[in-house]
Amino acid sequence: MIELLDRIDSVFRKFTKGKCQYADLRLQQVETERLATASRQAEPIEKSVSMGFAVRVLKDGAWGFTASSLFDDKEYERVTKLALAIAAASHKVMGREVQIDRWPAQTGSYRTPVQQDPFAISLPEKLGLLQHWEDLLHADAAITATSTFLDFRRETKFFRSLAGGDISQVLTHVGAGVTGGIVKSRRERYERSFPTASGQFVSGGYEKITIFKIEENIPKIIEQVVTMQTAADCPAKTCDIILSPDLASLQIHESIGHPLELDRVFGSERNFSGTSFATVDQLNKLKYASDVVSVFSDPTVAGGLATYQFDDEGVPAKRMPLIEKGVLVGYLSSLETAARIMLPSSAAARSDGWGNIPLVRMTNLVLEPGNKKFADMIAEIEDGMYIEGVESWSIDDNRDNFTLGGEIGWEIKNGQLGGMIKSPTYSGNTVQFWNSCDATGHPDEWTLWGTPNCGKGEPGQNARTAQGAAYVRFRQIKVGA
Amino acid sequence: MIDKARALQILETGLATSAADQTELVLMGEDFSLTRFAESTIHQNMYRSDSTLFVRAVRGKKIGVSSTGDLSPDAVRQAVAAAGAIADLMPEDPDFESLPQPISSETPSDAVCFVPATAASLPEQRAEAVKLIVGICAKQKLQTAGAFRVTTETVAVLNSLGVRQYNASTKAELSLTAVGEQQNSGWAIGYSRDISKIDAAGLAETAADKAIRSRDPIALESGAYTVILEPAAVGQLLLFLAFMGFGGKTLQQQRSFMAGKIGEKITGDNIAIIEDPFDPQLAGVPFDYEGVPRRKVVLIESGIARGVVTNSYYARLLDSESTGHALPPNNTYGPYPKHMAIAPGDKTLEEMIASTARGVYITHFWYVNFLNPMKTQVTGTTRDGTFLIENGKVTRAVRNMRLNQSILDAFANAEMISARRELYPQYSVVMLVPAMKINNFTLESTEG
Repeated sequence: MIELLDRIDSVFRKFTKGKCQYADLRLQQVETERLATASRQAEPIEKSVSMGFAVRVLKDGAWGFTASSLFDDKEYERVTKLALAIAAASHKVMGREVQIDRWPAQTGSYRTPVQQDPFAISLPEKLGLLQHWEDLLHADAAITATSTFLDFRRETKFFRSLAGGDISQVLTHVGAGVTGGIVKSRRERYERSFPTASGQFVSGGYEKITIFKIEENIPKIIEQVVTMQTAADCPAKTCDIILSPDLASLQIHESIGHPLELDRVFGSERNFSGTSFATVDQLNKLKYASDVVSVFSDPTVAGGLATYQFDDEGVPAKRMPLIEKGVLVGYLSSLETAARIMLPSSAAARSDGWGNIPLVRMTNLVLEPGNKKFADMIAEIEDGMYIEGVESWSIDDNRDNFTLGGEIGWEIKNGQLGGMIKSPTYSGNTVQFWNSCDATGHPDEWTLWGTPNCGKGEPGQNARTAQGAAYVRFRQIKVGA
Repeated sequence: MIDKARALQILETGLATSAADQTELVLMGEDFSLTRFAESTIHQNMYRSDSTLFVRAVRGKKIGVSSTGDLSPDAVRQAVAAAGAIADLMPEDPDFESLPQPISSETPSDAVCFVPATAASLPEQRAEAVKLIVGICAKQKLQTAGAFRVTTETVAVLNSLGVRQYNASTKAELSLTAVGEQQNSGWAIGYSRDISKIDAAGLAETAADKAIRSRDPIALESGAYTVILEPAAVGQLLLFLAFMGFGGKTLQQQRSFMAGKIGEKITGDNIAIIEDPFDPQLAGVPFDYEGVPRRKVVLIESGIARGVVTNSYYARLLDSESTGHALPPNNTYGPYPKHMAIAPGDKTLEEMIASTARGVYITHFWYVNFLNPMKTQVTGTTRDGTFLIENGKVTRAVRNMRLNQSILDAFANAEMISARRELYPQYSVVMLVPAMKINNFTLESTEG
């Protein structure tokens, strides 16, 4: 790919140098493979390769962006010139010029540590693993609907800029999951998933699949789905709740990650995914959460779906605080948005593949673990509910009001787990909710959960994010619809 | 844009290299332009050209699928070989019979869905439209945010049984939000195959009017309300209804609310929903990703569940014929409607409002998500223009509320339907939808 990059780069430089304030070039290849089964039947294997290049220019304070998957000199010239023409069109409606103090000129390379290349493992071996999981799921005759999957992705990307940036990265992700269900009638279905509803995703090689411990946990989810048939409906009341780490991950994603995307805060997403209550005048003032809550953005933490060394603007990745002891202290940002509040970029400008503009996206968000183990959290609750798994989510366009649903729950009475509850839901207001948090779980129970399908932008771009959490406890929350 | 001769030549070349029993090649091309604006400034402006080739190879009852974005002869040959190799490794699918045979039928001409002026439009045109919008809203001291997207798509399908199809289509879509200083807002959307029919000024005036009237909202208590839904809000409910049950796969697997209900009443008498790619306003691509001509399908008629859309695989399992609603070969979601129309009523929005003693007027919804698919229960919030109706008049703005509602129950309680319908696009689906007055619609007060 280097020869191809050099050829595009030479045309890119010829037509941009001296004609704009700044320009960058990305060449990316994305390889994916997904294997799945549904009730023992193998689904079609999805195997794809996509490659293209993108040119981004800043001319007279306005952006232009073009991308193409056609590789020939005429196309490189057409696309580069068109980027400049689009920037000129952008200049026609400009309330504010883009201002960046200094463009990064980083050089470097990064590769996800991989012991076993998932694409090199034979398809029969991978299909065999899924069939093995299917056999285990069907060990109990009560289970009538099952599904399993393996998912692999490798993104090879090169970045160059007129400022001197020259970066290459190879990011490899693996994912897996299973679901077992009982369909009793058209209106009556019970399902349990592991590691969570959409599976677990991490960066790394095929060797990572074993750390999910799927095989070991299949008997437990079978037992739970059988019990779900006689479980109580979720009561409507106010009580203390404990969220499982995967559900806490979703809660962090929806009510901390999205509200702290600085482009969103400024209104860039106003027409589609909305804006945020966490406006910049509240930086270092807003008591977003209780004292026990500290959250970082950290693309350098190992194993996350947003683990990288440079973002798609060539900014080096670094750990940055967002919430410290409950106070809002930072945002997820790009060069442009960070410059508006005179802070350094959090290296969170990321694009979906080669064909999209980098937007401010969530990285790996880390909810700092506390010192309380799950059992201790339960022991301190008189009347409450433990909610596990991810079932449903909805939050308003200002990221205030939300309703989230878990896959399964258990009542908590006098410090002990009680009866099972099916389809538990809870709701609240983001700031009130996080201020009601009185315990974050122990590091031994902390997990970095991958989200492979975070949507943002118009049209939608998909981003791969991660949120790390242990069990989290909240006091006096409204549960039930 | 890849023209017909070039597209079919790429596919024929690939087919010639296949050693499979049956082979299908699907070429999808896209030229996509987008101008996004916020804070009354263009902040994202782009063009992208992309294409993807899918290959489906069949060996006996084993099927393999591969895809590539590289259309060079070598890459196409590799993709064909990869699909064959995957097929060899797959277990047999006992329910698979065959790729579709060619079917001749009367279909709309390409001109219906391809408008040259749209394909040839320039970034300057989009910028001029945004400038117009910003100017109109600025007069009312409102900022604007929005997206103006223009797309030219091509699809070509070829299989070893003789299917040869090609289509090019265009679409232009402009949505915008006018935003006031008190976070009051109004929203509007326009869609057409023909960019000249996008009325930027009209949309700006609609959004600005709503934003102005959205100042100083009051909070309403949770409860069952009479609501008047604008077409976009109806479209958002319709889309989720389709997700939950208008596809042959969900029906065959008994996951659809339609399962066991075909021929039975599931909504009010006044509800008719048709998948109608031939409606001139919807102007659908005349065939699906298997190259099968699309058919008009009555989904709900006079409140009675009538049928679902299918592809060749699920049509056979359901003992019927394909309605031409296959998705691309890598998609495991199953067949899906893409051009739904709800039959019009005979009312105007003004008549609906005048007939309402107390109710809530809703522009559109946000973050609609499933709560219970079999009961068609969804949640979400209202957004960008929610108003109180009192004694037959829209009186004041209402704070956004959360819906918690069964869609089928809502369509069972639709008291009035508007004669006027509007096009509403979302997630590659285009809907032709009226406004509705619905009773007993559950809205909850939010704490935001």
